[in-house]
Amino acid sequence: MTKEIKIAHLYGNIMNTYGDYGNIVALRYYAKKIGLDVIDEVVSLNDPLDPSKYDFMLFGGGQDYEEQVLAPDFQSKSKQMKEYIEDGGPMLAVCGGYQMLGKYFLMSNGERIEGIGALPHYTLNQESDRFIGDITIKNSETNETYHGFENHQGRTFLGDGEKPLGEVIDGHGNNGEDKTEGAIYHNVFCTYFHGPILTRNGNLAKRILEIILNRKNNEQDLIPELQKVAPEYF
Amino acid sequence: MNLKSRAAVFFAKTSHFILKNILHRGATSLPGKIALKIDPDLLRHLSDNLDVIIVSGTNGKTLTTALCVKVLKTAGYDVISNSSGSNMVQGIVNSLIMQKSSKKQVAVLEVDEANVAPVTESLTPKFFVLTNIFRDQMDRYGEIYTTYDKILAGIKNAPKATVITNGDSPIFQRAKPENLTVYYGFDHLNENKDLLAPTNTDGILSPTDHSILHYHFLTYANLGFYYSITDSFKRPKLNYAVTKIDQLTPKYSEFEIGSTRFKIEIGGLYNIYNALAAYSLAQEMGISANVVKETFEQNQQIFGRQESIDVDGKDVTIVLIKNPVGSNAVIDMMLTEKDPFSLVALLNANYADGIDTSWIWDADFEKLHQANIEAVLTGGERYKDIQVRLKMGGFEDQETVPDLKQIVEKIKTLPTKKVYVAATYTAMLQLREQLAKSGYIKGGF
Repeated sequence: MTKEIKIAHLYGNIMNTYGDYGNIVALRYYAKKIGLDVIDEVVSLNDPLDPSKYDFMLFGGGQDYEEQVLAPDFQSKSKQMKEYIEDGGPMLAVCGGYQMLGKYFLMSNGERIEGIGALPHYTLNQESDRFIGDITIKNSETNETYHGFENHQGRTFLGDGEKPLGEVIDGHGNNGEDKTEGAIYHNVFCTYFHGPILTRNGNLAKRILEIILNRKNNEQDLIPELQKVAPEYF
Repeated sequence: MNLKSRAAVFFAKTSHFILKNILHRGATSLPGKIALKIDPDLLRHLSDNLDVIIVSGTNGKTLTTALCVKVLKTAGYDVISNSSGSNMVQGIVNSLIMQKSSKKQVAVLEVDEANVAPVTESLTPKFFVLTNIFRDQMDRYGEIYTTYDKILAGIKNAPKATVITNGDSPIFQRAKPENLTVYYGFDHLNENKDLLAPTNTDGILSPTDHSILHYHFLTYANLGFYYSITDSFKRPKLNYAVTKIDQLTPKYSEFEIGSTRFKIEIGGLYNIYNALAAYSLAQEMGISANVVKETFEQNQQIFGRQESIDVDGKDVTIVLIKNPVGSNAVIDMMLTEKDPFSLVALLNANYADGIDTSWIWDADFEKLHQANIEAVLTGGERYKDIQVRLKMGGFEDQETVPDLKQIVEKIKTLPTKKVYVAATYTAMLQLREQLAKSGYIKGGF
């Protein structure tokens, strides 16, 4: 039996507007190089969530309407999400998914939607404007640089206990003010990058895959193999 | 027309002449821009004595417009139209200036979704033909619901117009205009299945109860016989329907609408929708099914965008890709190819293509493993993006050609007779320019 990595793609059938599914394609690509299969399952409206079944979660971005519709359903999954996150469960949350993990966010029309508050950030809106364009950030701890494309209306402000994914070198970032982009909390990575981030930044994709392997039982021996795989960038 | 409008037209025509004959540049919007500066009301004056049909939507505008034009011409109308490169206000003004005569004419105008309202502020169309709405160039348009709102705002300006719209697309039922509306769609399967749309499909929530839509059958993306499980939302009754699909090949499709059998010289199920939209307009204008059938079978020229080009014995088919849904439809079309072929994927990210290339990750290139592909070639200004996309999709053995000038030469060396080129808008224009320079396409590009 081939060993596998199981991914929960949260609301993948309604939060799928910006190519974020590509993050799964990228993880599958690197996992395959070391002989692992990636199985992804959509966990959506009214679906039960059992975090113990999964090695990784992806929560991508979508449109305001869909985000508003899923908000109450996500509240009902809040307990499982917080347990998974506090237990060091690896996750990538992009754009709308990033906002939903925080305390609350304002839609473009100003309406307030409650997040689950698993992470301490909150998100304000902008009057008829969006942050759109190429973006480059640098993470000072790992010295890694990430490239992507941002396209978001929300302005997110980080809270105590979470670090940014990187400092903005070029672009707008979380809010266009404080030069931060994204967030890291335990093993949760948040970003506004589309592109998607793991396809364009092989360094981050391999870093996350390593976290996944470390957390799984008996897969650590694959890490040296993974380190040999050439990362992709564009 | 008043004096101001006449002056505007005169200056536009003069600048068009200079651009085209002295500077040898394409002139699709600058003369219109000049004319609008002189007379902001020009569009209103130009549309006097003109019956206008507006075609809009995300995918299929260009072909639907071309088919409507041809059908109307066969039926004896004096028709004017605009090209796909000029579907914004200035380009439309430009097209009208250049083609308007004193005779009674019909104008079939392809209008960019965001430009429907600005256009209908000045002219009052008799018909709107809507193709579909999918996510497209997110950097420009934002959300699909916003796009539909923009089109709706345009329709509100013309309450007497008939709206001919895709009944298989749930988004058109979210909010309905007051206008008389007729629906076209597919009724080729007598099935009572309970299906869900593929995971990576947008616009699948029921606006009444916000539940995920179910389907008796799907044609592509989120199109099909949809219904909500609470029964509060379902597909409207169709006025015009494809009742049978006889054959789908990469080069042509055969299908039936009612008792008439049609053949269109272009592959892809998605193109049957465009033919059906043109058929629906014809019926609404009292043109018989046989006239439509004859027009479709008369010549291949109307199916322009997907023509086959002979490049030193290679059978090269160029198809446009610009968003996930369109790309998936093209991929499905390629899967109807029985012979081995080579795939050439060209990606640009200029304004007309959309500056964000993220969409390529939502296109299901992995499906192409089911086809008999012998070689993969990637290129375009964003060759690296598409190269990594296909590599991660399992096409590791590929050659990449950053310089588009070399693509034509490379195509000649591919191992198969059949070659499919999937290109974004500006990459397609660049390739066609190269093919024209080398004499493989006659009469410019």
